[in-house]
Amino acid sequence: MSAQLKDVIIKPDASSSLLLDKHADYIAAYGSKKDDYEYTLSEYLRMSGIYWGLTVMDLMGQLQRMNQQEIIDFIKACQHECGGISASIGHDPHLLYTLSAVQILCLYDSLDAIDVDKVVVYVKGLQQEDGSFAGDKWGEIDTRFSFCAVATLALLGKMDAINVDKAVEFVLSCMNFDGGFGCRPGSESHAGQIYCCTGFLSLTGQLHQLNADLLGWWLCERQLPSGGLNGRPEKLPDVCYSWWVLASLKIIGRIHWIDKAKLRRFILACQDEETGGFADRPGDMVDPFHTLFGVAGLSLLGDEQIKPVNPVLCMPEDVLQRVGLQPDLLS
Amino acid sequence: MAESKEEVEVLVQRVVKDISSAFKRHPNIDEIGLIQCPEARYNRSPIVLVENKLGVESWCVKFLLPYVHNKLLFYRQRKHWLDSEALVDITCTLLLLNPDFTTAWNVRKELVQCGVLNPERDLYLSKLALTKFPKSPETWIHRRWVLQHILHQFSAVVHKTQQQVEAELLSNHRDRLIHQEMKVCSDAACRYPSNYNAWSHRIWVLQHMAMGNIKVFHDELSSVHLWVSMHVSDHSGFHYRQFLLKELITELSQSPSSASASTIFCSSQHQSSIVPRSIPQANGELPLADSASGDRLTTVLELFYQETELCSDLIQSFPGHETLWSHRRHVYYLWHQWKKDHLPCSDGRESKLKLLGASDLGGIKQTCVSQGESVERNRHVSGPMEVDGASLPDHDSKRLRRGILLPCLLTLQNEHIFVNSILNSCSNPEQKNFALAYKNWLDTVISVQI
Ligand SMILES: [Zn+2]
Repeated sequence: MSAQLKDVIIKPDASSSLLLDKHADYIAAYGSKKDDYEYTLSEYLRMSGIYWGLTVMDLMGQLQRMNQQEIIDFIKACQHECGGISASIGHDPHLLYTLSAVQILCLYDSLDAIDVDKVVVYVKGLQQEDGSFAGDKWGEIDTRFSFCAVATLALLGKMDAINVDKAVEFVLSCMNFDGGFGCRPGSESHAGQIYCCTGFLSLTGQLHQLNADLLGWWLCERQLPSGGLNGRPEKLPDVCYSWWVLASLKIIGRIHWIDKAKLRRFILACQDEETGGFADRPGDMVDPFHTLFGVAGLSLLGDEQIKPVNPVLCMPEDVLQRVGLQPDLLS
Repeated sequence: MAESKEEVEVLVQRVVKDISSAFKRHPNIDEIGLIQCPEARYNRSPIVLVENKLGVESWCVKFLLPYVHNKLLFYRQRKHWLDSEALVDITCTLLLLNPDFTTAWNVRKELVQCGVLNPERDLYLSKLALTKFPKSPETWIHRRWVLQHILHQFSAVVHKTQQQVEAELLSNHRDRLIHQEMKVCSDAACRYPSNYNAWSHRIWVLQHMAMGNIKVFHDELSSVHLWVSMHVSDHSGFHYRQFLLKELITELSQSPSSASASTIFCSSQHQSSIVPRSIPQANGELPLADSASGDRLTTVLELFYQETELCSDLIQSFPGHETLWSHRRHVYYLWHQWKKDHLPCSDGRESKLKLLGASDLGGIKQTCVSQGESVERNRHVSGPMEVDGASLPDHDSKRLRRGILLPCLLTLQNEHIFVNSILNSCSNPEQKNFALAYKNWLDTVISVQI
């Protein structure tokens, strides 16, 4: 009995050139279908959805096509008394959407639209005694939330509001023998969690605590013969995992360890030539999430039609220069 | 279908009511699903119950979801008042359709907190949601919150009561809860491969409800044995075994007094059951050693031995699975670390094995990989086991039990022998690549640490 390798086959006629105009049209049209059933289904993560759409538009130099005032008013309406920001109006505040909102406001250079001091109080209030962060007042713990907390504070220039040493201690307690990280101590290594934890260590100036060679090894083993990257052993390749793995490799200075040309070919094959946008894998349905990570991945791979992207915050480098934030990278 | 606003409202209210009365009349509903049915059938409810399965006809979802969704958000913005019964019904419908709607779970948390909603009902609702959406992160998050809530209630009662009987009832309740969580996790793991959320929930449950309880960990190791053998691509399932193994080994390697000092919810009444002196062996699994440190060490060695054997068997039976090779790295690494800490000299068997009462160390040979009596492996491997190209000698299991032969089996040299035998005999190119990667890993990661 032989295992069938879990991978995709890229057809010879798969798209191999970058269709930036199509992608910009796709994102610009996406938000206009507000009554859709689909739109209701995904309202619980609306704020992140807006961040994905705006960031990819900015990377493509098309941010001006989006309705800035409407978006800023929406974010204002999503800030709660406690300082936290929710995914949409009437939803409950959460760190995930607080970070997305702060990222959007940085793109627009409009942080003064919300009560920034209250955001800091909110984030600070979610840190636990062991240094970890809860995602919201109900107390779920995850290394993703550690990343959200420090990324939010770094963008606001308020990192000193929390106990950084304790926060670092908790994230390091989630490191596994393979150099990777999981959601909590003892959890399986996962490319998305690794991205959050390496990003966290970058923002807190603690990248030297990583075993970069060991982690780099694990990350490189995510590349499959199709060129795409998966998030864990024996999972299918996926454009979003390609970003998380690639960005992590960039942060730890090992991006040259994978076959960049093959990865580029895989990402390009995930475009929909008709509708614009990227899917998780060639032939699947496109969405704004995979569209951002497809374009951002191509940027990290050096595509000059796209603005340079920062691997830690997944935002255009020029925006971070304006904010005055340069997260550490290993060389 | 152009329905007016009023018609939609009537329809939706009827469906929400149908769902809640279906649950009242049939408390044993164990699965939910969508019935593909693009058109409404005249005057029939879109809620269908077949055996214990609750189905919603797909035509009504596009009316139902936006309506209940907006109704809850209006309530959240204080634009519309709903009593707690209506909230329970609406969030139930909503979450069965869209279980990642965090705010709807939060509304239910508030109802649980103020005593209006029994937390067990939410363990039930989230279990049903997982039958259709086995990955849903928000559903798993809510489950953990409900469990924490119940655990807090327990510890409040334990602190108040001095009654042995009550403490025992709570302990039984806790055991039932653990058992139920394990079942929910297995079901979700079967419904979606490498289900990260399900397996990390399972780890969370043990960490919060059974830490230090060797019996629970050991039962879990046995119970997922067959499962992983049938799901050799499921990296999360194997990671769970690695977690169990690591915890068991850590616990067993501590001195018996410190191990039995671990508590579950600060109740002294529980302590006697935490480290049982022996475990029933109806299934033929290895017995847990009693508190003598030598036997505990033997148990550790046996755990390593059996896991390595399982891994070898599966790698040979199912060539080309990255998961299995990754598991081998974990197990070997764990062994390597444990050996460094517990068998300090370079070939540690001399020192500790004497403590174990071994007398015939001279008879140990590198190649004496044992056939063992382990029921575990005989269950899964039909063909004869070949390691090192030779058929293996039968072996005296009592000597294995005493741990005499074990340490020599897990040497770096034997790992190389294993890899070479795969490389020499295998024609599967993926298997060859994984074997080479493992060899490379041994040479770079392990060798530099010796
Ligand atoms: Zn994806």
